[in-house]
Amino acid sequence: MKKIMHWIMLSCKKATELIEKKLLTKLSFREKVQLKMHKSLCDACTSYEKQSKLMDQLLSKHIHDDGDGIQSDGVVENDDLKKKILEKIK
Amino acid sequence: MESVKYQSEPAVVIKEWVEAYSDKMYSWCLYKTNSREIAEDLVQDTFMAAFQSIKKYEGKSNPKTWLFSILNNKIADHFRNLYRNPTVTESKINQSSDASFFETWFDDNGSWLKEKRPHAWPEEDAHLLDNKIFVKVLQSCMGKLPPDCNAAVQLKYIEGKKGEIICQELKISPTNFWQLLHRARLQLRRCLEINWFKK
Repeated sequence: MKKIMHWIMLSCKKATELIEKKLLTKLSFREKVQLKMHKSLCDACTSYEKQSKLMDQLLSKHIHDDGDGIQSDGVVENDDLKKKILEKIK
Repeated sequence: MESVKYQSEPAVVIKEWVEAYSDKMYSWCLYKTNSREIAEDLVQDTFMAAFQSIKKYEGKSNPKTWLFSILNNKIADHFRNLYRNPTVTESKINQSSDASFFETWFDDNGSWLKEKRPHAWPEEDAHLLDNKIFVKVLQSCMGKLPPDCNAAVQLKYIEGKKGEIICQELKISPTNFWQLLHRARLQLRRCLEINWFKK
């Protein structure tokens, strides 16, 4: 029985690690069962997985932005850099 | 005659582009790399590459689009290098602080520390990116990540490829990669929760 408990019960630390693995690659059958069992008992990790998926969506859209994501008020002027580049192409 | 000839020189075209786009390119790079020095280097490299291959450009696309495609390749290369060859000090710090990092999130049994336990978020939708204030919060939270965590996150999304493929290309262990992403996720999630979702 103790062995079974150990097989089934994951810590939150390990569960969040598996959630990350699941978003990147695939879980083994054992890992899938472990994570499912853990989430059925743990609201925090259930929220964590939902939020991780949302963050994934947001980040993939955001990081793919081609620079227009920088709002006009976020543009930093750098005149020294302009000078340096113009020096090089002279 | 000489002034007419000069007008067609690549240097003149590049000069116009530097005036028009370099600030925006620099800002984009600065936001992605969190380093003025690196951002300056990448923008300079981009203009050098553009200068050398300007004949290939031939006005087929908007110059800004062309310059940003070169720049984004340079940024991806930067993160690949950063991931492959983290500086000695950085990797040492990471090894020693791995245990102490997780101590600040989980107790001895691996359960959430009370103050770090995730809460449900009120508005969980993908239209958040339309909100400029949210984007600023997201950017500042990304900026707070340690360089190796940030590199892992950027690499995961920059090319939109599957994890296994990224790891194969970079010749890195998938385990290390997802463990760095795990650490990045904990920090980023918490930062968003405190600075956006709790308000």
